[in-house]
Order: sequence, then C-alpha cells, then structure tokens
Amino acid sequence: MTAMTTDLPLTSEKSPATVREATDRRRALMLLSPGVIWMTLFMLLPLGMVVYVSFWTQTTFAVNSTLTTASWERFLSSPTYLGAIGTTLRIWAIVLAATLLVGYPVALFIGLFVKNRTVQTALLVACVIPFWTSFLIRVIAWRPMLGTEGAINVILQKLGIISEPLTFLLFSEFSVLVGMTQIYCVFMVGPITFMIARIDESVIEAARDLGASFGTIFRRIVLPLSMPGVIVGAIFVSVMVLGEFATAASLSGRKVNLLGNIIVSQVGSLKWAFAAVAGVVLTIIITAVITLALRVVDLRKEM
Amino acid sequence: MDVRMLRPALALYTGAFLAFLYGPMIVLAILSFQGPNGGPQFPIQEWSTYWYRHLLGLTETSRVSQLPVGDSLLRSLALAFMTTVVSVVLGTMSAEAFRTRFRGSGPVFYLVILGMMVPGVLVGLGMALLSNVLGIERAWWGTAFVLHVVYTYPFAFLVMLAIFNRFDRSVEEASLSLGVSPAQTFRRVTFPIIFPGVLSAALFSFTLSYDEFSRTLFTAGRDLTLPLSIYGTFSVEIYPNLFAFGVLTTLFSFTLLVIYGLLMKRFTGTRAGRFSGQEAVA
Repeated sequence: MTAMTTDLPLTSEKSPATVREATDRRRALMLLSPGVIWMTLFMLLPLGMVVYVSFWTQTTFAVNSTLTTASWERFLSSPTYLGAIGTTLRIWAIVLAATLLVGYPVALFIGLFVKNRTVQTALLVACVIPFWTSFLIRVIAWRPMLGTEGAINVILQKLGIISEPLTFLLFSEFSVLVGMTQIYCVFMVGPITFMIARIDESVIEAARDLGASFGTIFRRIVLPLSMPGVIVGAIFVSVMVLGEFATAASLSGRKVNLLGNIIVSQVGSLKWAFAAVAGVVLTIIITAVITLALRVVDLRKEM
Repeated sequence: MDVRMLRPALALYTGAFLAFLYGPMIVLAILSFQGPNGGPQFPIQEWSTYWYRHLLGLTETSRVSQLPVGDSLLRSLALAFMTTVVSVVLGTMSAEAFRTRFRGSGPVFYLVILGMMVPGVLVGLGMALLSNVLGIERAWWGTAFVLHVVYTYPFAFLVMLAIFNRFDRSVEEASLSLGVSPAQTFRRVTFPIIFPGVLSAALFSFTLSYDEFSRTLFTAGRDLTLPLSIYGTFSVEIYPNLFAFGVLTTLFSFTLLVIYGLLMKRFTGTRAGRFSGQEAVA
C-alpha cells in the first residue's frame, strides 16, 4: 500500500496513468455502491426514523406524525426512565472495569509469558471458543450456576462455608454483572493479547539488561504499548453492554432495567414514541463513548 | 526475582479464568442429563437422556411442553444462509474497491464498520418503525434479513480487507496484460487467492446470523427464528430440555467450525503445494 501511494505523484503526469487512475476510481465506486446503498437504506434510514418518531405524538395504542416534544418531556421527567439511564451507565462502567481487570492478566500471560507459538494460539482459541456458542444459551447457563440450588451454592454448602444458600447470587444486579463480564471479557482479552504479543522481544531484553525490574518494564513498556488493545477492547465491550437487554431480562428477575429493556417493554406495549426517545438517548450515550475512545486511538490503523 | 513468582501465578489465574469461561456451560451440559422428574438444578435425580428425547419429540406425554424449535430451526438456517451469501458478496466487492485509493474512503469505511457497532435493539426499532410507516409487513426473510446483513457484512468486509492487503496486485495485472479477460482473471487468479478469506467471512456471517437475536426481535414478524423461540421460553419456567437444546446447538456450531477447519486445511494445503516453488524464490 505504501509503495502505491509514493508511486502515484510520479506517474500522474503521464496521461495513460491518469486515464487508468480514473477508470480504477470509477470501478471502485461501482463496487462500493451496493454496500453503501444497503447501509444507507437499512441502517442510516432506520436510525433516522428513530430520531424522527421520538417527536411524534403518542396515543394509547398508536403514534401519529404530529410533531411534539411530549414524549421527551415525559421521558426526562420520569424517575423510572432517568433511573434506567443511571442503571445503564452504572452497569456499563462496572462491566467495563471488570472485563479489563479480569482480562488483562490473562492477556499478559498469553501475550508475554507464553513463548511457544502453538501454546499461545491454543490458549487464545480456548478463550474464543465460548463466543462460538449461542449467546442466549450462555446467558441461561448462569441460572443453574447461581440459583439457590445452583452449583455454587451446592459446592459452598458441601464445603461447609455457608449453611444457608446465598440468595443474592441470582435474579439480582450481581448475576447480571457476572453474566455480562463472562460473556464480554473475550473482546477485551483478544485485542490486548494481540498488542502485547506484538511487542518486540529485544526491547524488553534491552530494558532488562539495563537493570529495569519487571514492574518498571511493565509500567514503561508493556502497559503503554498495550493501550491501543485496551481501547479497542473497551469500544467493543462498551457498545455491546450499552445496547444490552437480554442478559438483564433473563438474569435480573426484572430488577435491572437498562435502556435496552425500556425499549423492549415500550415496543411490547406499542408505545413507539417512548421507545424511540429511549433509543435516541442510547444513541447519544454510545456516540459519546465511542467518540471519546476514538480520540485516544485511530481504530482504522489498529485493524 | 518476583518475575519467577509471577509466571506460575499468572498461569494459575489463566486456568481459573478458563474455568470461569467454561464453568456454566459444563454445569449446563451435566444438568441436561437430568432424569424425567428432576428440575433445572442439582441434585441429579438419575442420569438419563430423557430431555434429549423430549426435545426431539420421542417421549410420550409429558408435564412439560416440547420446545418449539422445529420450524424455527429451518427458518434460522435459511436466514443464515441468505445472510452469508449476500454479506460475503458485498464484503468482497467493498474490500476490492478499497484496493484503489479514492476520496471519501474514510467515511465509507466507518459507515460499513458502524453496522457491526450499532446496537441491534436500535436498528431493530428503527426498522420496525420504518416498516410501520411504509406499510411493509415485517418478516424474517425481509426486514430481519436486511438487518442481519447490516450486521455481518462489516465482518466479511474486514476479513476480505485483511486478505486483499496481503495480496500483490501485480499477479492480477500479469494475467490481464497476458490478454486474459477480467472475468477469467477473477475466476482463475483472484478467487483462488482470496478463497480462504471468503471461507472465513462465510463462517463469521453464518454463525453471527444463526445466533442473532436483538436485531430479529422487533423485525421477524409472526414467524419466529430459533433464538426468538429460545428467548420466549425464558419468561416461563425453564426445564432441562432447554439445556439439552443448548448442548445440541453448541455441537452444531462446533461441527461448522470443524468443517471450516478441514476445508481450510485442504485448500491451503494444495495451494502451498502449487506455489511452493515461488515461495522458495521469494
């Protein structure tokens, strides 16, 4: 790619090259247009629709296109909906921190301490395989694990650590956090491992030869060089957690209401305009988070 | 040195992490062999394959109704297949376009990538609103299908982009300058080189679509896909037949992965053989 770009200014003066460049560009646009049209019609247009409908008038079972800010006013003055924004942000922050804390040491081990390429790949594959199974099944698998008669309570009781089963494990915010951390930490481990494994061995050796302790090496070399991986992982996890509703719906026993859950329940009762307002709020939050993250790293260069 | 301590500590931690990843699925698999009178928890009353037979409709009358997976499974497979074909074609075309430098490539790149980033519940809601306004009936093969492609096409695009970045354009140019038609060049030169990428893109698209749930929830209309049927059982009491289903669907996903691996090995094996001379020169 770099060779091509340096060639371009030299050849652009010759007319056959210019002609070819023009045909190439026309060809590129033709190849690209189906994809761009698809994304515009089936992604941008629906998203625009969400914004538009959030200003429609909501009647009992329908919406009509008379523009009003009534839905917005109701949303922003309702403690339930504002609470949902708070819950979404809290769950997002905790899960993001948890996936990073749980995942980073694993990435450090696979990327830095495992020297054998085959073992490295095998460990990474072992981390990715659960992602290959059904999302809903992985969510529901936490029920027999965390329930009052679940595996954890049974084991703890057998070991004599507790006498009564722990009830806060399932159908609580705790179970939602555990479930989301398990499901999404793969997206943190992958990018971070990738960045750490790319660090030149000789840089670390040089630091060690100069007498740097492991703590210094980690702080001055490994951590800064792994940051793009952390950011990419954080973007993945954030986008997925912020748009979540299934984990909360099936593990919280209706105790955790995320913005996603609000949208689902509003659509269920045909309150399209309120659902749209919740959708716009969600879009604003996600856009803010991604913009913030992209300030730190250029995603296109990392991928 | 603390490093000597750190290595086994991190190895142990990674082991615990893998247990955390796999634990729930293992417990679920164990409980799927629960006896007919057992519930979806410990203890195991007796070991049996009752719930597998129940799932397949081989048991006689039961206190638990059968999981409604038959028709929805077929729908999900058809939907995943349609999604795979369209997203691999779109992804290959777009990635091919990105081999030429053109103005506006940045925004187009982000537009495509947005498809895998935007939450399913949002585009699902938007598509439902749009079909309401336009008076289009929602269906898994229509409104849900186009959203599945919105989701999987970026994955196919990224995979193909990675393949094209590593593939020297002069190979194609040589073929073209020797008078081979562009269509023939694509079939005989370009396609064999990009085939591993196509296979990976297809695997991604198929698996993601087969399992996709949030994009389908508002857009599938009356006929449910497999994940929707499964989600429907969550709100009522769950029984070990759901666990049996979980084990079977996991096995299905792994079978796909194995087929992919075999195809990949076979293909890259013959390719390495064919081009071994060239690689030695390079």
